[in-house]
Amino acid sequence: MSAIRSEQPCPEPSALSKLIEAADASGNPFSATTLQTLHNLQHQHLWTSLQIHDISTALEASETPSKSPITSSPDDTTLTLISGIPPHRVYTHPDEQLYMLEQGLREDDLKPERLFVIPTAQGQAWSLRRIAAVFDAMSDVQADETAGDGNTAKAEQLVKYYERREKARKTTEWGGKRVLLAMVDKGMGGEGTVVYYVVQEGEVKPRQN
Amino acid sequence: MDSQPTLPVPISYISGRYLLFSIDAVTYLRREHNICGVLIGTLPQIPQQNVFLGLPLELMPEEARVLVDRDVACIVDEAKAHDGMKSLLEEDRRQYLRELESQGLHASRILSDRKDQQREQALKKLGEKVKAKAAKAADNASASSAQKDESSSVVDIFDDGSNSASRSANMTPESKLAMAITPATSYPPLPQPTSSSRILSKPEVPLSYPLFAHLHSQGYFLSPGLRFGCQYVAYPGDPLRFHSHFLVVSAEWDQNIDLMDIINGGRLGTGVKKGFLLGGPEKTREDVDSEAERVESVRAFSIEWAGM
Repeated sequence: MSAIRSEQPCPEPSALSKLIEAADASGNPFSATTLQTLHNLQHQHLWTSLQIHDISTALEASETPSKSPITSSPDDTTLTLISGIPPHRVYTHPDEQLYMLEQGLREDDLKPERLFVIPTAQGQAWSLRRIAAVFDAMSDVQADETAGDGNTAKAEQLVKYYERREKARKTTEWGGKRVLLAMVDKGMGGEGTVVYYVVQEGEVKPRQN
Repeated sequence: MDSQPTLPVPISYISGRYLLFSIDAVTYLRREHNICGVLIGTLPQIPQQNVFLGLPLELMPEEARVLVDRDVACIVDEAKAHDGMKSLLEEDRRQYLRELESQGLHASRILSDRKDQQREQALKKLGEKVKAKAAKAADNASASSAQKDESSSVVDIFDDGSNSASRSANMTPESKLAMAITPATSYPPLPQPTSSSRILSKPEVPLSYPLFAHLHSQGYFLSPGLRFGCQYVAYPGDPLRFHSHFLVVSAEWDQNIDLMDIINGGRLGTGVKKGFLLGGPEKTREDVDSEAERVESVRAFSIEWAGM
């Protein structure tokens, strides 16, 4: 029995395992989660121009161990974000959708936009402080809108739309800052599922799904 | 209709519950202060056998606290406040009883008036029916004069009917039997502005109060969230007119949040066309002296399933 087993070749590591092994020299225990999320975004959801942002937050300064012995792990001071451009719009505020409808615009007419993703793993300790830290850091890493407006037929409406959106951004009537929360399944053997949730700052009314 | 109770509205504190017994106060607080509460009054014998519950209205401690902080209401120790019953003067008592009796008479008069009206209407309808029948019969038998007499006799019968109706109206005894009135509040015998010795301090509130107060100040109507598996359900307007927008869960700033709870809430909320709202105050109770400061430091995050 044992002779037969030893003769069988060890299965080839998956593309994801190779990616993680190749990059995992930093010693950051969360880098594997980040890479797995990035891999998922790139190959399952076909996002483009993906980047990894390391943001150092002021978590350590304000978070004393005595106050929260559970949440503080050695790597709480740095948060890693991923940003990329999704092939389709991930989120449209209901009021924004109404405005677009009135202007005769479709989601495909708009420029693709960079969106931020927080990679997390199931069972990882999180708190409101951490979520707030991500949102506070995001104003520094402002999303650059990629140019590439080939649609000239609706140029006029588009200009109007972007003006209106700039106004809405200031009043946050179409929702405040938004980010995707990605959670990697690490339980049950880690079958590779990644789920995504839209997190927005403030009270943003739900979409009419 | 826009009856305004005298402020501050007394909230009865009875065995750990905050209750309202005055319908004027209930409608006023709902109309002007976005406080709905939960109606808990039911039939004493068969509590499961009615569809709609009535007075009293139970308030969450958070709701009571918001009202007290706005100086709209005060908390009254109901047991102590009713000690005053014993010291009521005999004369006051008699007057109160007389008042109750006159109210009862008024109610019974209204009731009998309505009964008379209904009877009259019913008889009128009946009379019309008989008339219509008679007219038909007359049409059918218009050829012979003998039958015409018969039709006139039918009219006589109808006349008889009207006579009997008036007779029965005369017969109805002006029942002077007063209805028994059960007052919902005890302010008429007791003085309305309760003496300050019976007013309790501000209600004790759970840690989630700052988020509650924050959302309430934004104009949301909040109700208990058990049926949706959260702490509060937030409605953008009166729950009778609007679907709720959020399932609200509060956490302390450094409280450990299981990510699975976010997924659960987000998924459940999206499934019922609501957002999942997670929030809490940045300051802990040790940091500040008053809850008001905690309310100001609230930050909230709306979570929805991304659908990818």
